[in-house]
Amino acid sequence: MKHWRFLLVLLVIVVAPLFASKGFALSLLSRIGIMALFALSYNMLLGETGLLSFGHAVYYGLGSFATLHVLNGLSARGLPAPVTLLPLAGGLAALLFGLVFGYPTTRRAGTTFAMISLGIGEMVAASSLMFPAFFGGEAGISGNRVTGKGLFGIDYGTPLQVYYLIAFWVVVCAIAIRALSGTPLGRLANAVRDNPLRVEFVGYNPTRVRYLMVVLAGFFAGVAGGLNALRAEIVTAEALSDYTSGIVILMAFTGGIGRFYGPILGAVVVTVLQVAVASVTPAWPFYFGLFFVLIVLYAPGGIASLLERRWQPRTLALAAGPALLLLFGIIGAVEMAYARSSDTGDARLRIVGIPLDGESRLSWVFVAAAVAAGIVLLKRVRREPAVGLQ
Amino acid sequence: MSARTEASGDDATPAARGTTVLDLQDVRKSFGRSQILTGVDLTVFKGDRHAIIGPNGAGKSTLFDVISARCAPTSGGIQLKGEDIARLSARQVRRRGLSRSFQINNLFPALTVFDNLRCAVLWPLGYGYSFWHKLAGLRDVDERASAVLEQIGLSRKRDVLASVLTYAEQRALEIGITIAGGADVVLLDEPTSGMSRSESDEAVALIRKVSQGKTLLLVEHDMNVVFGLADRISVLVYGRILATGTPAEIRANAAVQEAYLGA
Repeated sequence: MKHWRFLLVLLVIVVAPLFASKGFALSLLSRIGIMALFALSYNMLLGETGLLSFGHAVYYGLGSFATLHVLNGLSARGLPAPVTLLPLAGGLAALLFGLVFGYPTTRRAGTTFAMISLGIGEMVAASSLMFPAFFGGEAGISGNRVTGKGLFGIDYGTPLQVYYLIAFWVVVCAIAIRALSGTPLGRLANAVRDNPLRVEFVGYNPTRVRYLMVVLAGFFAGVAGGLNALRAEIVTAEALSDYTSGIVILMAFTGGIGRFYGPILGAVVVTVLQVAVASVTPAWPFYFGLFFVLIVLYAPGGIASLLERRWQPRTLALAAGPALLLLFGIIGAVEMAYARSSDTGDARLRIVGIPLDGESRLSWVFVAAAVAAGIVLLKRVRREPAVGLQ
Repeated sequence: MSARTEASGDDATPAARGTTVLDLQDVRKSFGRSQILTGVDLTVFKGDRHAIIGPNGAGKSTLFDVISARCAPTSGGIQLKGEDIARLSARQVRRRGLSRSFQINNLFPALTVFDNLRCAVLWPLGYGYSFWHKLAGLRDVDERASAVLEQIGLSRKRDVLASVLTYAEQRALEIGITIAGGADVVLLDEPTSGMSRSESDEAVALIRKVSQGKTLLLVEHDMNVVFGLADRISVLVYGRILATGTPAEIRANAAVQEAYLGA
């Protein structure tokens, strides 16, 4: 069966709410879906076309705002809003902005593209405060997705219905993105990524290829933004901020930009980490940064490449101990530093049952030793012949 | 005017009396203050295998860059099949039937061999920037790419990434990409550079095969290749054509002897 993996994922998406019917888990799943689509659209640029964009949130955010404006506009006139189709409004709006912004952005690739995308991202983020009528100022704009009795009683009043709305569009768009990579334009995008000069000499304009990819990626980012607007029923300027642009890079890269499913993996891992780690420690942005640095350094192909690597059980067994030791040392140091900086005056804490104290020199020596031992042992494992050979 | 010796009325090279496919008049190219091409006049006839030889730094690659519109000439005229192409972009020149290869392999390294060739045939087959066709289902693209794959002898490497081919295979793919689009004027920039003797022999056989029915303009350092392959030879020295003629004429030309071959 050729598509068994896809069908398996589809099955998981459909039955997941049975196991995660609680508000929090369902909302987490919905957010993962939206972020997966956003990251997939981003990878049309980074992975497929070789364009490092620092402003992809522009399309996500504008798609979000446009969706709520259409929803509110229809509701205000007493018209029934086809909520099911509204994410497309977000996509189309983002596509239009892509046609405008893509033009100056795609003249050049490489650093120039990255810088212009950053500049446009800043410009659009700044306009969110300049045009309060559209962006709603600091408070953003909100809407009500329940616009009456929907078809078959689907009025999107419950989070479960919204989940399936999101799931539907994410799956449809993921299929479309996948299909797109198998078209002439998709292959040319890869060619432009690899060697734009030669693309000229096979009769194509690399700028045009980049432009089309930016516009199409913008569309899918806009759909993701529209879905998030419907999920949260509110959009603020954060949707088009540099934070959102950064997080999507993080997701695509940590998941792996060389594989179609990489960004999806990244969206799952990053979103879960965001929620899970943030609920445990205020130092979560630090861990986040560290995680990203480690991936870039040691697994540039992302989590996808780690999964595809043929691990030898012996390697894993040997590396597990030192890795945990290193992790313990780092977490200990970070948490002690945070504990010291809090106003309570008490810097005592426990990590896996081991008592540490940010004010105690002994604790610091202890975690430093753990870090040092972890690094030394890991280096030894790397030198193991069995590890080196793979 | 340049001191060029034309094969005048000599019926030893029938192709020489054919129609002009590529014509350059007083083409100059400078980069800043350094003049690379100082007035090139060159006529290439239909169906010829025309080689450009000359010492290092004579401007051979720059001449190719100017003809193929990788860079615009500083002055001078270039006509391809009667149409002025001096101010066109590289892709426009390509679409008018002139294709070139590069001295240093210029492939799509992260694409498979087959996809490298597919990229080269998409435009000529009229698919443009299509994102509504499924590439895998395009039979004409597949047929043409497969035929070229066969010609360049890489059928067994079809699904291998271009970056992992051997050097000689990459050179073959370089030629494959150049001819796949069906251009009738083909420019090959040192196709056998960096090859062993046996690899070079294979490359010459390949060039012979793929240039059938086409006009070939060739820059090459290996004189065995040049004299074995070319119908006509032009000698480029200090950015201008010193002489043009049949291999026999070039061998006998005193000026060429002095400037280049005898050295």
